[in-house]
Amino acid sequence: MKTKKMLPLLGMSVLLASSIAGCSGNNNAAGGNNASGNAANTKAETENAYKDKYDPEVTITTVWGVDPELKFKNGETIENNVSTKWAKEKFGINIKSLWSITDTNGAFGTKLRLAMSSGQEMPDVVTIGTGDATIAQDLIDSGMYREVGTLFDQYASATWKEAMAQDPNVWNQYSRNGKKMGLPVLDYAYNHDYILWIRQDWLDKLNMKAPTTIDELEKVMDAFKNQNPDGLAPDKVIPLSIGFKTSMNTWMGDPSWIFGAYGTLPQQWNVAADGKLEYGSVNAGMKQGLEKLKDWLAKGYIPQEAALWDENKTSEPAVAGTAGIIPGPYWMSGWPLQDTVKNVPDAVWAPINIPAGPDGTVMRHGTQFTNGVTLISTKMKNPEAFFTYENYLYDNFANPQPGSELDNGLFAGYDYELDASGKMVANDQISGGYVNSVRYLLVRDGARIPDAQMKALLNLANGAQPTTRLEKDVAVNYGKGTPAAAKVLLQQEDKSFKNMFTGPTTETMKAKLDYLNKIENQTFNEIIYGKQPLDSFDSFVTTWNAGGGEQITKEVNEWYDSVK
Amino acid sequence: MRTLRKNWQFHVMLIPAMILLILFSFIPMGGIVMAFQDYKPWLHISGSEWVGLDNFRYLFEREDSMQVIWNTLIIAVLKMIFNLLVPFIFAIMLNEVRKLAVQRTIQTLVYLPHFLSWVILGGILLDLLSTDGFVNQILGSFGVQPIFFLGDNNWFRFTVILTDIWKEFGYNTIVFLAALAGINPSLYEAAEIDGANRWKQTRFITMPSLIPMVVVVGTLALGNVLNAGFDQIFNLYNPLVYQKGDIIDTFVYRTAIQNGEMGFGTAIGLFKSAISMVLILVSYQLAKKWAGYRIF
Repeated sequence: MKTKKMLPLLGMSVLLASSIAGCSGNNNAAGGNNASGNAANTKAETENAYKDKYDPEVTITTVWGVDPELKFKNGETIENNVSTKWAKEKFGINIKSLWSITDTNGAFGTKLRLAMSSGQEMPDVVTIGTGDATIAQDLIDSGMYREVGTLFDQYASATWKEAMAQDPNVWNQYSRNGKKMGLPVLDYAYNHDYILWIRQDWLDKLNMKAPTTIDELEKVMDAFKNQNPDGLAPDKVIPLSIGFKTSMNTWMGDPSWIFGAYGTLPQQWNVAADGKLEYGSVNAGMKQGLEKLKDWLAKGYIPQEAALWDENKTSEPAVAGTAGIIPGPYWMSGWPLQDTVKNVPDAVWAPINIPAGPDGTVMRHGTQFTNGVTLISTKMKNPEAFFTYENYLYDNFANPQPGSELDNGLFAGYDYELDASGKMVANDQISGGYVNSVRYLLVRDGARIPDAQMKALLNLANGAQPTTRLEKDVAVNYGKGTPAAAKVLLQQEDKSFKNMFTGPTTETMKAKLDYLNKIENQTFNEIIYGKQPLDSFDSFVTTWNAGGGEQITKEVNEWYDSVK
Repeated sequence: MRTLRKNWQFHVMLIPAMILLILFSFIPMGGIVMAFQDYKPWLHISGSEWVGLDNFRYLFEREDSMQVIWNTLIIAVLKMIFNLLVPFIFAIMLNEVRKLAVQRTIQTLVYLPHFLSWVILGGILLDLLSTDGFVNQILGSFGVQPIFFLGDNNWFRFTVILTDIWKEFGYNTIVFLAALAGINPSLYEAAEIDGANRWKQTRFITMPSLIPMVVVVGTLALGNVLNAGFDQIFNLYNPLVYQKGDIIDTFVYRTAIQNGEMGFGTAIGLFKSAISMVLILVSYQLAKKWAGYRIF
């Protein structure tokens, strides 16, 4: 009796539910169509709309993914703080938040994706980091965000244009059929370019010089292991701390330069001799690199469990004082290597160049000059207002000359403070505490000029006293060894090769890439561990090409031709 | 009808639960259609392109898909069996401990690892199980050659199952102990009068009384037969053990989540649910037939 009664009820509710779902879906779609129609109609010519200050006020809507580490003071929030007040007073721009979310475990990307798929109001301006690159690509494809190249040409200031021109490739990943659909967020250059860090005290005790070739490197590693200057037993020493659990092309403990000595960088797209893009992992040079790694594993030069080690794990023996060499970024003298002296008091880490292969080849993988994208909505009425805001930051904040308006920092009492005599106080003595108010801005980190930080570091390395804001900043906030390491890094500036494919995932990639990556990782690791002969590299290349790699290469080159 | 009139209060009390069920279980089922679409979030379900069974075809067409499905099944089934067997034996043994304080302490201690995250355990195990780690040092003192637990295809599954049991067996132990506490003491008293010794009491009273609980736990676990434990595998695996360690969930993570291929992810979810439902129905029938036990 009861079940009979319940069944139709249940059926009804399911029907009702699905019809509601259906309705809302239709509504959304219709809403979207209307909106884009309106936008096309109302897109009047907005010449000379650009102003330094808007009166009456203009409104920019945005959404925020708030870094959980970001702090606020004086009862402020991301929606309403010193930075939004500043924008209002200085430019007449009212920054209105649609929503904000603490960005842990990709919450910002998820919320943005949900907002998009449920047809909520989308922000006029949104900045998305590379961590959420797929959602940025989806938003561009959704047609909700407009072409920005013409806006940039029309409104951006000279400083910003120069910064953007340092690498024209930054536009590539946000371009569609030659149209620039998003403003790349510029980052400091070379942050993830690598050098080798070596125990200079071990070299000195052994009376050896820093290795400049792979052969010399082998001699040094052998000496580190078998005649260890600190008297460590050979099986306790890791001469070269690298790991490839996640990738052969990574940051700390990165092995890609070993292949670079033989003319290729794995797991990224390089420009081949014929000018086309080529996937580095299928280049013949890989075979020699794999042979070296296999040999080094057998001789104990690299960690026996390198296949299980991720980036942070490779730093453990380095800090413990049992590793002789670790590849990594130029800023590593601060974190993590400064802790080594706690374990081994006379340990000295020195930055050295990447050693060359038998024919003198050196390649290291380079860093993109961008770490995200700013999108501008098709519905935004005053897109030029965003340029007013950002131009000011580029002109006065990115790399200000002494005496300019934002020379000391962004907001007094937040990210800097001057004492009675006009001297800058240390960050931890700011009354009420230091907060990184730069992160309150519409674009993460405000405005960065790619080469500015390196230039500042070089000036310091050459003995100059810090005078500009950036120089003071790096002098205070980075490890003492950093300027010298930056100098080493730039000695091989022309050896830095970026991944040349930054476009959206291609059709074949969607279907095949994971499998191809899987057999690649498996083959390379098993060759290094001696479970497969070296020649299985050749059969891997055949399988890779036949299993979709050839098609992917074709698609990648089509993309490359379209942005070249 | 008469019962409805008499018991309508109970039905009213059911309403909130029904609403929640409809809201969070039935309505989202509409999303299942994504499994048959090339789903694009900005086109919504209504506007995305229909691709029929393409998402399913892709799952089975991959050169390594059989390997991945087998890995999943083997790891999950072995985990399921041992996660019943070990707590079953352990609970009976623990039940024989006379001192209540000792029993409680052990019970709590074996339950503790359940609360540790695999992210943390992954790091700890990497050190413990390394070729010169603690475990290999102990084995070495018995003259065993160092074993590459996490990087050797012959050992990886063994390591995964053993560590999972170590982490999780305390949970089922508590369930079984609760069932043991519910056995009527007069049964034991009667058996003692009949001259049954401790082993006989265990064999003929304790074990049969536990069977219904084993059936319940086992049947519920069957629903997870295609879940070989994403957190664990993801934190422990590496390219050297793809051959024996790559499971459906890690594969979905790489393709569906990392690349935002929602249609494909939904297809796999649907495939897993279908298999699990068949298994639950079958095991339910078997349980009813052989153990005479009805769960629902």
